[in-house]
Amino acid sequence: MKLTTLAVRNIKRNFSKYVMYFFTLSFSVFTVYSFRALIQNQYVNAAMTYDVRYRTMLAAFGVIIFVFVMFFLISSNASFIRARKKEISMYSLFGMSNGKIGKLLFTETMFVGLAALVVGIGAGVFFSKLIAMILLDITLAEFTGDIAFTITPQGVYLTAIPFLFIFCVMGLSGLRVISKFELVDLFKAEKVSEGKSKGSILVLILSLTLIGTGYYLAATSGSDVIIGAAIPILILVIVGTYLFFWGGLPKVLSWMKKRKTKYYRGQNLIAVSALAHRMRSIGSTMATIAVLSAVATTAVATGFNLYQNIERNTYGILGYDLYFYGGQEELLDDVFSAFESYDVELIGDYTTERLQVKPKNNILAFDGNVEYYNPEQDYFRVYSQSVCNELLALSRVNSKPIQIKEGEAAYVRSFWSNVPGMTEEIERAIMAEPLQFSNQEIRVTSFLDASFISFGAVHTIVLNDADFTELMAAGDIMGVDSSGEPFDQVTVFKYNNALKAGKFNRKVNQILSGNVGKYRSAYNHYTESLETFGLVCFIGFFMSVVFILMTASLLYFKQIMAAEEERHQYEMLRKIGMDSQVERRVITKRLLPVFFIPLVIGILHSIFAMKTADTIVFSNMIAAENSYLVVLAFSGIMYGIYAIVYGVFYFITKRQYTRIVG
Amino acid sequence: MLLLKVENISKIYGTKRGAKQYEALKRISFEVHEGEFIGVMGASGSGKTTLLNILGSIDRPTNGRFMLDGADITALNKRQLAQHRIENIGFIFQDYNLLETMTLKENIILPLALHGCKVQVMEERLRKLGGDLGILSILDKYPYEVSGGEQQRAAACRALITNPKMILADEPTGNLDSRSGRALLELLTQINRTYGTTILMVTHDVFAASYCQKIMFIRDGEIYHELYAGDDKQKFFDSIIDVMSVLGGEKQ
Repeated sequence: MKLTTLAVRNIKRNFSKYVMYFFTLSFSVFTVYSFRALIQNQYVNAAMTYDVRYRTMLAAFGVIIFVFVMFFLISSNASFIRARKKEISMYSLFGMSNGKIGKLLFTETMFVGLAALVVGIGAGVFFSKLIAMILLDITLAEFTGDIAFTITPQGVYLTAIPFLFIFCVMGLSGLRVISKFELVDLFKAEKVSEGKSKGSILVLILSLTLIGTGYYLAATSGSDVIIGAAIPILILVIVGTYLFFWGGLPKVLSWMKKRKTKYYRGQNLIAVSALAHRMRSIGSTMATIAVLSAVATTAVATGFNLYQNIERNTYGILGYDLYFYGGQEELLDDVFSAFESYDVELIGDYTTERLQVKPKNNILAFDGNVEYYNPEQDYFRVYSQSVCNELLALSRVNSKPIQIKEGEAAYVRSFWSNVPGMTEEIERAIMAEPLQFSNQEIRVTSFLDASFISFGAVHTIVLNDADFTELMAAGDIMGVDSSGEPFDQVTVFKYNNALKAGKFNRKVNQILSGNVGKYRSAYNHYTESLETFGLVCFIGFFMSVVFILMTASLLYFKQIMAAEEERHQYEMLRKIGMDSQVERRVITKRLLPVFFIPLVIGILHSIFAMKTADTIVFSNMIAAENSYLVVLAFSGIMYGIYAIVYGVFYFITKRQYTRIVG
Repeated sequence: MLLLKVENISKIYGTKRGAKQYEALKRISFEVHEGEFIGVMGASGSGKTTLLNILGSIDRPTNGRFMLDGADITALNKRQLAQHRIENIGFIFQDYNLLETMTLKENIILPLALHGCKVQVMEERLRKLGGDLGILSILDKYPYEVSGGEQQRAAACRALITNPKMILADEPTGNLDSRSGRALLELLTQINRTYGTTILMVTHDVFAASYCQKIMFIRDGEIYHELYAGDDKQKFFDSIIDVMSVLGGEKQ
């Protein structure tokens, strides 16, 4: 019998074990190829505004996947070989040299690897059009074009060569594992425990403290320190997770054993003792899965949140579909005719002065020393209540009209006063000091969330109409700058389908670009964000799928190996009177914690990671009262999907496990 | 008192119409009375383990039926059989079959735990039995930490803890050295005497068989011969050897 025939026969016989592994491998190849192909795809390149940035992101992620695939393959290969220890020792007993056994395993690896390459790249080619369309669909606001079916030779060999390299490394690492085997292992029954770890209360407390500290830092740090704290938080939480699975969980299990009324129920007794027994060998896997799940869910939740909030974010920042200041006399007619010629339905527009006021106060400061107003250089943008309400009505943000009493003012919250944690302090300082004008004092008594109406100003206040007229008459409100030039007016527009009107937008860009003081359109901002965040979302999705496949197949594999060893236990249990109903419950209790605990811990990590992401990004992006809740709601959807996919793997594993022990 | 009544039990392996039918048991009938210590002997492949599996309701007979304490066991469904195994039968196996993931104590109480017993009842029974069998000091150890003889004692303890009507032992001394083997046989005798437990032991070890009160010899799926122990142990031993040599010789 030739070595290759033997190799093929081995693969056939171990097919059920290989199948998950093979699937994961193929999917990794598929992902890497897809990314390579996307980088090369001329249609995609033409469609992307920032093609360099996009290519770098895809390529960088390709490398990350690669590194993970390599670790996954080498570790699963080693446990594969260890699981076949008896078979390999048998070859050795019958006189096969280590070199030959190595060659046999190398051939097997190569067979499976090559098949995975063919399937992965084949699927990649087959789905390349679909993948490119999906990418363009989620990254472009108005994608209508068609993409031709393409095969990318460069993508094929840029995928194949590194994978072949990995397979070679795997083959060689297998040889290293074999050389460690002793023939005598064959005759040693596997009676010796894998080294039950009893756990220690100290490790449990330490692990919980580390994770807790990480969580605390993530939850309470302000945006100024969180970026510096990110790495320490990561280290705390990851180390804590591993310690928890190495020493903490075993301790919890040993506590459960002490609660006899619960523990001495048939199924619990079998399931808990079996899990405790395997903790040592499976602890690291569970910890790794918890960490990877955290990374994957965080990535996909972040991407999804960014993506879902692009529209909100766009309007949160811009407020309007379109606005510009300066050059109204010459350009306004052009803009209006563009609305007509592109058949865009204008809902409303409003033009107003960008007036300024300089209160006569001395330097205003909060906290005693941080000054926020200096009459020498700063000014307040000022609106009357009725103008402000006109502006609010045309905005895309749900702001109710405001009502201001005489002698009072509303201060418009802007980004500088949005510092989380500091807000109250700043606001108290602003309300404490009345603003001094020529003939009267005006006190800020309320705040308005509409930073978009400041149009370039740092401070903006809204006054009662009567006060506004009085200040105007007293000359406090200025319409001209120091050289006597009037300030630019501002015009805001609201129109239908603003985020889809690409052609109209291009025309507007052409009219306004370079001719006005400043202009911004929601469409421009939206498409830019969509491209970036759509890509992040796309990559996050792929990353999650690859991670979930790797972690799940790792778990699957470990449980199937365990099932082979535990088979005789179930036989014995049936002999002493375990019926099939109890058996099913035992199997569930045996497998569920292995899958469930890492998932829960991973998602818990992710929830706190999202808090960090909220502090850094989302709190500025989402205009809601408590942006974290919005973030959690969107993340919850992703966690749900992740859990469902993960659950499917649990059921596959359970079925296979039941089949083996049954 | 009559405990077990076996009527015309046969076991046929292979498909009914297939040419490769193999009849492991051929219409076997016998009776066992309460408190008996019976040995079942025979060459490899004679059907003795098949018989034990059927009596233990791990396997079903193709034809025939048997009654335990008046109840027809062959008529029970799967669920009832599992229940029956817990309540009425104790098993002792050649390779002990203790779960490595559990301490001896946990292994012993396992049948009771599956049955849903109260913790105090378990502890109480364990203390009493463990004392009788001399394994109290090693109860918190794991199987791989104690000797084969001690493991088999624990297995015997597990078989006894449910107060079964009958203990089925399949080559219990097969994996033990002669000293531990003798100790176990003395233990079984002691169990049989003190608790009055009925024991059915399959063995091919003549020395082990000589501890029984009665021996059934099985050949080619049929009861070939029966021997009763007299007062003279040596004579009993010799006659077993005689029967076995005939059995083994004719097999060739």
